[in-house]
Amino acid sequence: MYLYLPVALTSINVFIPVGLGLAVGLLSGLFGVGGGFLMTPLLIMFGIPSTVAAATDSNQIVAASTSGTYAHWKVGNVDFKMGFYLLAGGFAGGLFGVQAIKVLNAMGNADFVIKMTYVFMLGIVGTYMFIESLGSMKKKHTEIAAPAKESGMARFLKALPLQTHFEKSGVSHSALLPIFFGGLVGILAAIMGVGGGFLMVPVMVYILRMPMHVVVGTSLFQILFNCIEVTFLQSYTNHNVDFILAVLLLLGSTLGAQVGALFGRKLRGEQLKIILAVIVLAVTVKIVLDLTLSPSLLLVQGGGH
Amino acid sequence: MSVTIVKSGVKRKTLLAFAFVALMLAAAGSTSAELTATANHDHIKIDFFYHGSSVSVRGISDQGTDLVIKIASPEGHQELRKKGKLAGFLWMNVGKLTFEKVPNLYSLHSTKKLEDILSRDEMDRYGLGYSALQKHAEIGPVASGDEKAEWFNQFVRFKESSKLYSVSSGKINITEQGRTQNYYVLLDWPYQALPENYTISVYAIKDKKVVETAETHVLVEQVGMVKSLAGMAKNNGAFYGIISILAALGAGFGVGMVFRRGGGAH
Repeated sequence: MYLYLPVALTSINVFIPVGLGLAVGLLSGLFGVGGGFLMTPLLIMFGIPSTVAAATDSNQIVAASTSGTYAHWKVGNVDFKMGFYLLAGGFAGGLFGVQAIKVLNAMGNADFVIKMTYVFMLGIVGTYMFIESLGSMKKKHTEIAAPAKESGMARFLKALPLQTHFEKSGVSHSALLPIFFGGLVGILAAIMGVGGGFLMVPVMVYILRMPMHVVVGTSLFQILFNCIEVTFLQSYTNHNVDFILAVLLLLGSTLGAQVGALFGRKLRGEQLKIILAVIVLAVTVKIVLDLTLSPSLLLVQGGGH
Repeated sequence: MSVTIVKSGVKRKTLLAFAFVALMLAAAGSTSAELTATANHDHIKIDFFYHGSSVSVRGISDQGTDLVIKIASPEGHQELRKKGKLAGFLWMNVGKLTFEKVPNLYSLHSTKKLEDILSRDEMDRYGLGYSALQKHAEIGPVASGDEKAEWFNQFVRFKESSKLYSVSSGKINITEQGRTQNYYVLLDWPYQALPENYTISVYAIKDKKVVETAETHVLVEQVGMVKSLAGMAKNNGAFYGIISILAALGAGFGVGMVFRRGGGAH
């Protein structure tokens, strides 16, 4: 069955967006990522203009992350305090990132910087997570607990002002830490034009030392707010949110997010991390191939990256 | 459906001109049959279940004439990003190209191959064929004529990939009837074609020259909910955005609640 999309100005088989929503929603509920790094290119592949694809995906993520946050909140896996600090930083970072894009555009090499940032961030994050979670899986297996050693970095972090305890995550940090890293992810996400879940999750796991299950719930919580903001701005300034496409996507993704959250409880933190690492690495490889293989068309629609 | 009779090169603009041309024909004592063109529907409505359409064009022409049928949108301006190699191996967007005086949709069908029935001059005069389109188009920025030709070819490939440009020959069905012939062609109308007023022009050809033309129109329009949603997105972005967000929040919570009730056993 085909439906016509009034903003994308194209017709699509309804099973495509519902199926895509289901798959990406599943990942969202499992790993706490929005899935924009998968969804946007897939929508473009099915004939949706790139600007409409990105804007509509953010609308869909509002639904998927609401569904996912709700599922994780029910079992006490959302650290709202941490979420708010990350959001505050992310909001400021986003404003800064948008300015950075303007500067890059003026310099004329925005596309190069964006693509390279994307490849390197995905590559580094994927590789690090893969190696780390593989290591910790082996460690668990041989029942050797690594002695926690106090590094210089840890001492520096402890010395920062505004130390506070995050009850849900069971960690103590300076409030500046989530604000700073939230801001950094915000800048990068704005430059790359993605939600940044795949960056936020490793920041929470490795820098903020939060338990993986709380990471997923908290990440979804802050993605929800980011995507509300982006959906509004995209509708208001660029007019490229396709409501019908968003509804078709969220039919699948809200369901997928619930199934993902349910399934995630049955997996261990290391298992979740290694699967996410493999997906991130696969996307990296795909982007590298896109960059190096000759494209079939040398002209593309304006907008998007 | 409007049927227009026009002598080579003259276009009907008003009833007055129509009468004038008819008078001229009579004065010239022309014995040729009137070329006619009729489309099966002149109004394509885009509703939620629209997935393209098909348009048939039929009419009468002089026996033995070759025919070219052109469907085109009004000429306009299009901006596209071009891909190029950076550092020798990285394919990236390397800038923008502006295409002026090009139709968004261009579909051309002839009884025989265009080059075999028309002279270059005639093709250029009536905008028939890709090479005529290329000569007419303005592309910038390009350094040379060769570069223009190269990017125009890429433009055609881009358009063909979304079914908006096509050129074919041999699809037109002709049945002879005394001194005249009936022609008929059935064409796919792509769903990618934007709402616009399209012109169908039919050219009768003899001795490598266009001897008669006829014209009709197809209006493509959004209707109902598709029209109101597209209008709201464009003219009332803030309200549209808020509705979209509320719907998404509602759907997310709704599914969450359903799962809590249904998932009690987990």
